[in-house]
Amino acid sequence: MVRGLASIVAVSLLAACVAPTGRPPLTVEPMRVRDARDAGDPQRRASTRLVLEALDAEISERPDRAVALLQSALRVDPTNPWAYLVLARQRVAGARPAAGLAALEQAEARLRAEGELDPRVAVHLVGLRGVALVASGEPARGRPLLADAAARAPGVWADGRLDARELR
Amino acid sequence: MAPSARTRKAASGASRRRRRPGRRPRRRIGPLRAVAVSLAILAFGFGVFVGRTVVRLDRVVTERFEGQLFRIPSRVFAAPTILYPGQELKVVDLRSTLERLGYRRESSERVAEPGAYHESAGRVRASLRGFRHPTRAQNPRRIEVRLRGSRIHAIRDLDAGREIAAVMLEPEPIGAFYGVERAQRELVRLDELPPHLEDAVLAVEDQRFERHSGIDWLRVLGAAWANVRAGDIRQGGSTLTQQLVKNFFLTPERTLSRKLQEAVMALIVEARYDKDAILEAYLNEIYLGQRGSTAVHGMGEASRFFFGKPASALSVEESALLAGLIQSPNSISPFRHPERALSRRDLVLDLMFEQGRIDEETHGQARARPLALAPPTTEPRDTRYFLDALRSQLPEVYDEKLLTSGGLSIYSTLDLRLQQRAAEALRIGLEQLEKTYPDLKREGARQLQGCLVALRPQTGEILALVGGRDYGDSQFNRCTQARRPAGSVFKPFVYLAALEARNGDPVITLASTLDDSPLTVRTPAGNWSPANYDRQFHGAVSVRDALERSLNVATARLGQRVGIDRIVDMARRLGIESPLAPVPSLALGAADLSPLELARAYATVGNGGIRPDVRSFEDLVDGEGNALERRSIAFERVLNPATAYLGISLLEGVVDRGTARALRSGGLNGAVAGKTGTSDDSNDVWFAGFTPELVAVVWVGFDEPATLRHSASRMALPIWLRFMRAATGGTVRGSFAVPPGIRRLDIDPETGALALAGCPRRRTEYFLQGTEPQFTCPEGSLFVRDRDGEVEGIVDHLFNRWIRGLFQ
Repeated sequence: MVRGLASIVAVSLLAACVAPTGRPPLTVEPMRVRDARDAGDPQRRASTRLVLEALDAEISERPDRAVALLQSALRVDPTNPWAYLVLARQRVAGARPAAGLAALEQAEARLRAEGELDPRVAVHLVGLRGVALVASGEPARGRPLLADAAARAPGVWADGRLDARELR
Repeated sequence: MAPSARTRKAASGASRRRRRPGRRPRRRIGPLRAVAVSLAILAFGFGVFVGRTVVRLDRVVTERFEGQLFRIPSRVFAAPTILYPGQELKVVDLRSTLERLGYRRESSERVAEPGAYHESAGRVRASLRGFRHPTRAQNPRRIEVRLRGSRIHAIRDLDAGREIAAVMLEPEPIGAFYGVERAQRELVRLDELPPHLEDAVLAVEDQRFERHSGIDWLRVLGAAWANVRAGDIRQGGSTLTQQLVKNFFLTPERTLSRKLQEAVMALIVEARYDKDAILEAYLNEIYLGQRGSTAVHGMGEASRFFFGKPASALSVEESALLAGLIQSPNSISPFRHPERALSRRDLVLDLMFEQGRIDEETHGQARARPLALAPPTTEPRDTRYFLDALRSQLPEVYDEKLLTSGGLSIYSTLDLRLQQRAAEALRIGLEQLEKTYPDLKREGARQLQGCLVALRPQTGEILALVGGRDYGDSQFNRCTQARRPAGSVFKPFVYLAALEARNGDPVITLASTLDDSPLTVRTPAGNWSPANYDRQFHGAVSVRDALERSLNVATARLGQRVGIDRIVDMARRLGIESPLAPVPSLALGAADLSPLELARAYATVGNGGIRPDVRSFEDLVDGEGNALERRSIAFERVLNPATAYLGISLLEGVVDRGTARALRSGGLNGAVAGKTGTSDDSNDVWFAGFTPELVAVVWVGFDEPATLRHSASRMALPIWLRFMRAATGGTVRGSFAVPPGIRRLDIDPETGALALAGCPRRRTEYFLQGTEPQFTCPEGSLFVRDRDGEVEGIVDHLFNRWIRGLFQ
């Protein structure tokens, strides 16, 4: 009975908020890795800071150093989803779409496992998957994903790519 | 008999008279002329001989000097230690790490020089050495590690004056690919050495080096006179060039011909090359001591070995000590004979002062300083099997010759701390087994063997690998080269194949019941009738029970239902590469596998169905620091994460309730999954298991198969437990998260039906979405499942339907 009443309240609130507006899909402020800098246990925090350093290395056009820093980040915490997300971005940007998709799989699995797969992060997964699919010769599957990402986060994904600065 | 002069002369005249025009007269040779001619011929012959010898020696010299001057064994480094705030000190083992790296402990907290550390209450200060690496290069920096309780509280960069999030120590050397001479050296260039090192060496070894042409005649005469007076060979007159020639080209014997060769070659070297080139070659060649079984050659290597610093950072007194060691490195070794070393060092300082190479003040100050040595370091013995495994992963172009002489640096994935724990766990574990079961104790090559390999499931990095009991006794790597019957560690692949929904429903769910009653399968080789370890049959058993108790008959029957092809396919996807015979007994592990490939397959399951490529190194770099090879992280999705999770959950059950429950009573807490394995004839026992961050496989058996008579849970599991407890500190970090596509429901364990509110028995179980049980236990009939699969009472269900109707 209690659950029934709770359902009424929840559904009413939802109906009041969503139903009459008819607006386009809500945009999101995409997640940045720095937002997760202080999250998690010490191992995770140290790992995430190494991920940030890896992004810095990419921004300053030192891709090899960025790879090494990501490997260090994963050595400190092999379950850090941000490391896999940045790795995926790096591989997609480096024209290695298959390797990028595999890293995205890892990122998504870890994000889900940790309950971090909110729309702010999901938009990156969708967008990167779109880029990877287009690059691997599957534009029919990839373009809708890119369009979806651009609609959700036009400030970042309108140009169809994710810059290291935008993820940092 | 020789003719008289008169006779020779008359004969000569007669001869002249008889000469005819156009005919060459016959000449008679007088004795003097004959001697002269003979001498000339001899001289000519000698000249030819000397000339040819010089040409030959010149070719030998130039080939060496203009070719590869030194054969430098390629070094292998462990993965670098990374320090960060919050880290458990027992995990990082800071002091041991610094000492293994050759850091000197100092009483002063200034730690001004790289390679020094200072420890005081609650903090460690270290002056970190920089290191060259194509992607991870680091400059020297001074840091302070503040400790609180058992953890690192903060890390501060003392030079920049700010807190830092993480700091990487230089990679630890774990071994090298040596040639027959087992010599190690770090090449240095003359222009990067401090001038006082050159001064110290010249002062004590060859003070007229700049003025002689390869041979110091004054010194030769002085030495000869001293030896005559002593009636024995007490002094040598060799110049530095002669020493270099002797070390490069000649044997140490003291014979005249060797000394002559040495002198000639020294002259050739001096004629062909300038003094700087000769001195640089000498400073890189000279033998200066022994690190275990490895010879330390050259000032670069010696500086690291004795002082834990690069040669460019040597002080005057340190240079004097190294120069002093040249005469007799082992009898003056500062580690074994510090007083002799000190006295020799002071002698060199005195010579430097007397020859005007240092001033009085420098001399006094240097003499007043004590020997400040780095802790003696040896290459870890436990890493040899890993080095062999690494070598086998290198591309073919890196052959024996290149590895033993090319001076490459290979940055491996090995975690030295875990490697030491693994080696210790295997050694102690096997010793304890021999104590507990004396019938297993054998001598020599027949003794009980084992191996342990540990990987990081997400990245496939080999973190630890111990391929046998003692590399000195047997270099056969049982983790990578051995293929042994897998037994029950193979069973999870059967269950995963059965749980996977491919082209339809899965063969079983975790609510299914298996039949553990007598089974006979007809095969081309005859009838096959599997039996359980306890020689009994258990009738209807749940899927969990069957795996947790490792029941053979139930699993064999399941294998028949799934089909061998699907089982083989599953094993292949997970990472098994060994041949798998398509026979019914494959379901019970009738396949010879290597521990490494088994570790990879378990890593794939533990990693949620993403298979990693196994890597033993990340970078391979040449002597100039150029990257030649790089192994990036690579992985591939091979199994649905939900199916993989069902496998994980089953294997967690094995640890919580099944044949591996001794892990829990042994003090390992947290998320752990694994499986014991005993081969059909009890010749091989295994334990394969994982945590969210580490997978490890242990094998125990005899090289020549012989029965062990005991189960894996008594033999392989304790070794795995010892290793994992040491690796994790006893409490595992993280958990196996439930992926999407999994439904968690209570079921009635007896019937496999949904256990709704009225059901008396219940157990939580996991299902692939859409494969949940559709019926309830008889007592739970007042309950139903809604459209989303949620279970609710009939009254709630009707009310919710009414509410939904209102809003639709």
